[in-house]
Amino acid sequence: MMSRIPLHPHWILCASLTLSASAEVDFNRDIRPILSDNCFACHGPDKKKRKSSLRLDTFKGATEGGELADPIVPGKPDESEVVVRIFHQDPDEIMPPPDSHKKLKPQQKELLKQWIAEGANYAEPWTYLAPKRHPVPKVSFKAWPTNWVDHFILARLEGEKLAPSPDADLITLVRRLHFDLLGLPPTPKEVAAFQKAATQNLQAAIENEVDHLLASPHYGERMAIYWLDLVRYADTVGYHGDQDQSISPYRDYVIDAFNDNLPFDQFTREQLAGDLLPSPTIDQKIATGYNRLLQTSHEGGVQAREYLAIYFADRVRNVSNVWMGATVGCAQCHDHKYDPYTTKDFYSLGAFFADIDEAQHFKVGSNSLPTKRPPELEVHTKRERKRIAALEKLLAAGKFASPEDREKVQAALAALQKAKRKTMITVATEPRTVRILPRGNWLDDSGLIVEPATPEFLSKDHPSPASARPTRLDLANWFTDPVEGTGGLTARVMANRFWYLFFGTGIAKRLDDFGGQGEAPVHPELLDNLAVEFYQSDWDVKHIMRLLVTSRAYRQSSLESPALRERDPYNRLLARQSRYRLPAETIRDNALSISGLLRSDYGGASAKPYQPPGYYRHLNFPTRKYSHHADERQWRRGVYVHWQRQFLHPMLRAFDAPTREECTAERPRSNTPIAAMTLLNDPTFVEAARVFGERIIRVGGKSNKERLEFAYRLALSRIPDERERSIMGKLFTLAEKEFKSHPTAAKELISAGQAPVPSDLDPAEHATWTTIARAILNLSETYTRN
Amino acid sequence: MNTTDQLANYLNRRSFLGQAGIGFGSAALLSLLGKDARGAGSGSSPHALPGLPHHHAKIKRVIFLCMAGGPSHLETFDYKPELNQLNGQPMPDSFTKGQPIAQLQGHKLKVQGHLTKFKEYGTGQYISDFLPYHRKMADQLCIVKSMLTEQINHDPAHTFMNTGTAISGRPSMGSWINYGLGSESDDLPGFVVMTSVGGRNPQPIAARQWGAGFLPSRHQGVEFNSTGDPVHYVTNPKGVSRSQQDALVQSIRQLDIHRNETVDNPEIKARIAAYEMAFRMQTSVPELTDVSKEPKHILEMYGAKPGDGSYASNCLLARRLAEKGVRFIQLYHRGWDHHGGLEKYMNICCGLTDKPTYALLTDLKQRGMLEETLIVWGGEFGRTPMFQGKGGAGRDHHIKGFSMWLAGGGIKGGTAYGETDELGYSSVKDIVHVRDLHATMLHLLGINHERFSLKFQGLDMRLTGVEPARVVKGVLA
Repeated sequence: MMSRIPLHPHWILCASLTLSASAEVDFNRDIRPILSDNCFACHGPDKKKRKSSLRLDTFKGATEGGELADPIVPGKPDESEVVVRIFHQDPDEIMPPPDSHKKLKPQQKELLKQWIAEGANYAEPWTYLAPKRHPVPKVSFKAWPTNWVDHFILARLEGEKLAPSPDADLITLVRRLHFDLLGLPPTPKEVAAFQKAATQNLQAAIENEVDHLLASPHYGERMAIYWLDLVRYADTVGYHGDQDQSISPYRDYVIDAFNDNLPFDQFTREQLAGDLLPSPTIDQKIATGYNRLLQTSHEGGVQAREYLAIYFADRVRNVSNVWMGATVGCAQCHDHKYDPYTTKDFYSLGAFFADIDEAQHFKVGSNSLPTKRPPELEVHTKRERKRIAALEKLLAAGKFASPEDREKVQAALAALQKAKRKTMITVATEPRTVRILPRGNWLDDSGLIVEPATPEFLSKDHPSPASARPTRLDLANWFTDPVEGTGGLTARVMANRFWYLFFGTGIAKRLDDFGGQGEAPVHPELLDNLAVEFYQSDWDVKHIMRLLVTSRAYRQSSLESPALRERDPYNRLLARQSRYRLPAETIRDNALSISGLLRSDYGGASAKPYQPPGYYRHLNFPTRKYSHHADERQWRRGVYVHWQRQFLHPMLRAFDAPTREECTAERPRSNTPIAAMTLLNDPTFVEAARVFGERIIRVGGKSNKERLEFAYRLALSRIPDERERSIMGKLFTLAEKEFKSHPTAAKELISAGQAPVPSDLDPAEHATWTTIARAILNLSETYTRN
Repeated sequence: MNTTDQLANYLNRRSFLGQAGIGFGSAALLSLLGKDARGAGSGSSPHALPGLPHHHAKIKRVIFLCMAGGPSHLETFDYKPELNQLNGQPMPDSFTKGQPIAQLQGHKLKVQGHLTKFKEYGTGQYISDFLPYHRKMADQLCIVKSMLTEQINHDPAHTFMNTGTAISGRPSMGSWINYGLGSESDDLPGFVVMTSVGGRNPQPIAARQWGAGFLPSRHQGVEFNSTGDPVHYVTNPKGVSRSQQDALVQSIRQLDIHRNETVDNPEIKARIAAYEMAFRMQTSVPELTDVSKEPKHILEMYGAKPGDGSYASNCLLARRLAEKGVRFIQLYHRGWDHHGGLEKYMNICCGLTDKPTYALLTDLKQRGMLEETLIVWGGEFGRTPMFQGKGGAGRDHHIKGFSMWLAGGGIKGGTAYGETDELGYSSVKDIVHVRDLHATMLHLLGINHERFSLKFQGLDMRLTGVEPARVVKGVLA
C-alpha cells in the first residue's frame, strides 16, 4: 500500500496504547485530549469565545448546559445532545462544525459515547493534582528490576504482553553512561576498566561508574546545556543590533550548581530571587542573572511601553514554561483556550517581576561590545574565588622549591585577580504598576491594576503567598514548596525532563506543556513517584539521576525488532532503550576529545571557534568582525561557545542547537545535508581529523592494522571487523596514492586549523590517516548515542 | 506493507512529530529508493503534504524582494496631493493622537510633502520618478497601497512580516511553504535567502527571519553567500580533491550500510541520504552560483557583475534558482531606513534595485516562468508622512499604511489596490494586513491558510495565526 501520513500520528499511538491498557475509559487519559483539541476552543475556559454559553471542560458546565437543554446526560448517551451532534450528518448540525477544520475520528466518537455511558466522570486535570506516592506494582519477572522504577516499566510491559530487551553490551552501556552524564566519550582505558569490573558484578560496576561520573566536573557542563536551553541563556541581547551582553558568570553558576548538587529548590530561589535572600552571597547575586536573560533592545525608536509589554510577556512565557510546564503566555490577550489560566493570571504572574527596572537600557544601552545592561556586577565565580584563596594560601605558606615557582604562582594569582567578569544581575526597585492590557494592547491604559499573585485556580489548593505584596522570593518558594505551594507539580515537570535526558522521550511527551493540549503521561504513577522522590530527597538532582541510570530499564539494549518498531515506534513503553543523534555540543566535544584537542578548562568567558568569514555581515550597531580564538580556547567544550542569538554558530545550528530566544525543553534531532557538509568540511572537524591522524601515527602502533584498531578504539570503543578493515583499506590505498602524487595537497590538508603542524611526519602518510580519521568522525555510530 | 513503505512511514511519522524531524534526508532517501511516500495523487507537487494542494495552484514559487529598512510609500507608489499642500505645516493631531510613534516620540510633528514627482499608469497606479524601470513594467504590477502591519521597529517588523507574529522562533513563510508543498529540487534547498547592501544605515537582519521554527529544520532558509563559500561548508577542505571527497563519502556510506546490517536503524538510512545530497550540493551550489557563463546581454540586462554580491546579481541568481525548482527565494536589500537624506538615499537604493527588479521580471517573462511565479516587493513597513531630519529631510518608521506590489501568476497586473487617507497616514480602503498578504500568497500556491496548520505547544499553529485573515480577491486576475 502507498503510505499516507496521518497528520497526528501520536494520537493513534496514544490511543492504541491507552486502550489496550484498560477497558474502562479514563477521563484524563482518554477523554480530555479529545475534548481539549476539538471542543474547548469554543466550549472551554475562555468565556469571551464561548459559544452558546456552553462549556464542556467542567462536569457542571457539561451537564447543566448553556443554551442547550441536555448537552451531556451522565449514563445516557442517547439523551445527550453532544452525542447526537457529534454523530450528526448535517453540516449545519454536526460538531465540531466544518469551518473549524476539526473532525472527530469514529474511534473518538465511540470513546466519548462510552465515557458518557459510564457516567461522564470528570477528573481534575492530572497536571494540577499534586503527585502522591503510589504503591510499587508487582511483576512476574522478579529477577529483572534493579530498583522500583523498573517495577513500573515492567508491570506495564507485562500488561502489554511485551518483554523488556536484554541488557545492552558493555561497550554500548559505558558509552551511553558517558555521553548521557558527561557529554563525552569514554577513553579506551575507561572502557576496559568498566568491562573488567562489569564481568565481576555488573550492577556494582554501573553504580561505581555512575558515582564516578556524577563526581566529574564535566557532569555539570553537560547538564548545564539543558538548563541553559530552558532559561534561554545567550551571550547577546537578541533583538536588533544583537550586541554582546555580560552574563557568562551566570553560565558558570549553573555548571557549579549541577556539580555541587545544589538542591533544586535552592537553585530556583537563587535564580528568581537571590537578591531577596538574607545577605545574598556573590553566587546568589550572579544567579539572579536569570531574570536578565530575556531578549532586549535599545534600537533607536523603541517605545518604552511597548517593549516593557514585550519583556513582561517574555518573562511570563519563560517562567511558566520552565517551572510550571505551562503555557501561561497564551493568556496574554485572552483567557487560555485549553487551560484554566486567565488573562488576569498572566498579568498577576508577571507582576512578580515588576520590581526589576528593565527600562534603564533604553537610555544607556550602547552600541558597544558588550553593550550596557545595568545593573551589572564585576565578579569572580565560585571556582575562581576558591582558586584565588588556594593560591594566596600557597604564597602565604611560602614553601617554594625555587623563586621561579613562586613567580609562577604570583603570576597565576595576578592573572586570576584581573579576570573579573561583568555579569547582569537583578536588583529590586520600587515595583511599577502593572495593568491588564486589554487584548494585549500596550497603548490601552484602561485595564485593571493587578498585584503579584499566583494563578487563581491553583491557589485554591496552593494559596498565593499571603505577604502584603508577594515577591519573587515568595513565588520561588511557592514553586518549590510541596505543602504550601506547587512544589509537587514543579517536581513532576522536572522529573519528566530528567527522564527525557536518559530515555530520549519524556514520560509525558511534552516537556514544556503539561496543559490540556499536552499528552498524558504513559506511566503516570511512575512520574508521580519520581516527583515525590525528588522533593522528599530535598530536591537532590543527582539522586534522581542516579536512580534513573542505575535502573534496569536504562540498561536495556536500544536495538529494536521490526515487530517492536511496528508496535511501539516511539518507544513510549520502554521495551528497549532509545538511540539518537548526539546533541550539537556533544558532537563537537566528541570529535575534539577523540583527536585529543579538547581542553578541559572550566568556566570563563565564552569561546570563539572557527566560523565562516562574513557570517556576521548582517549585524550592525556596531558592525561585527568575528575573530576566532587563536589560542587554546579554540578547543573548549561546546557549552562555552559564544552564543550569538541572531547568528548562532552554523555548526551548532546545523545540529539543532536552539538560538535561545525562547525556552527550549526539547531539541529537534534533524538530519540534513547541511549537517553532513558541516561534519565533512567545517575546519573544526577537519582540524580534529588531522590531529587525530597524527595521534594515530604516533601512538597507534606500527602496522596499519594496529593503527586502525587504535583509531576505532578511540572513536568507537571497539575494533573494526573484517568488512570495515576492507573498506577502510581501500580508502587508505586511494588516499595514499593521491597524496603521494600530490604532496602540496597533502600539506594543505594537514595544515587545517591552527594546531601545530608536525614537521617530523611524512605529509602524505599524515594526510592519508587524516582521511581515515575524517571517515571515522563521520560515521553514524560515532555521533549516535545507542 | 513492504520494508520501504514501512521505512517511509516511519521516517515520515518521525518528521511529522516536529520534535524529531529527520530533515532533508527523508525526501531524498525516498526518491533514492524509488518511492515517494508523500502526496500520492497530489499532482504537480511530488513532496507535498497529503491533501495539499487544497485547490489548483496558480503558481509554483514565490520570489520575495524585501526592501529592508522600510521604503517610503510616499516616494514610491502612494501619491497624495494634499501632502504637498500641507508641506511644512504641523501634522494634524487627528491623525497622530494615541498612535504608536518610533523615533519621532516627543518631537513636533510636521508634514513632509513628497520629495519626488509621480506619473499615473494603469488603473490608479502612480509611480515616482525614483523608479523609471518600474514604470516600464507597470502593466505587470498590482500595487497594494493599503498595507498594514503591527510592528514599528525593524527587527520585530521583519519577524512579523516573515512569520505573522513578533514572537521569536516561529516558522517563516518560506519554511511553511516548503513544509506544505515540498521542494521541487533534488540537489538544492527549497528555501534560499540572499542579501545585498546599499543605502542608508543598513539595519541588521537576523537569521530567525528565515528560521523553520517548530517545523522540521530541513525547511529552514539556506543563505547563499556572495563571498567565500556560497553555502557554509559547501567547499571541500583544502587539499581534498573532488574524487577524494567522493571516495570518502562513498566509504562512509558503505561503512554505515554495513553497520546498519547489525543495528537496523532507519535513522542511518536517512543519514546516508543526507550525505549523498550534501555531496550533490557540493557540486550543484557552486554551479548554480557561478553566473560567468550567462550571456553578456543577460548580465547587462540585470546590471550584474559575477560575484559582486549586488542586488542585481542576486536577482539573476533568483532566476537561476527558480529554474531549478527552488520554492521560496527571498532577497533582502538593506539600506532603506531613510530617517534623513531621503532623496539622496532613495537615489542610491532605487539605483541599485530598480533596474535589476525589472530585469528579473522581464527575464522570467521571456522564459515563460512569470506566470508560475509570484513576485512580492516591499519593506517591513512604510514611512511617516511627517518630517524627520537626521541629515536632511527624511521620514520615520510607519505601520498604519504603506505600499507593496505583487506580480506574476494569478495577479491582476496594471492595477492598484486599496488606499490610504489623504495624507498617506492610515490605510482606509481595502486594507491589506500582513496576514492577508500571507493568506493570498498561500492561496495562489493552492493552500487554504485556515486549513494549513501544525500542532505546537498544543495549538494548531498557522502562518496566518488566529486573528481573521482573508485572501485578497481584488488583487487576483
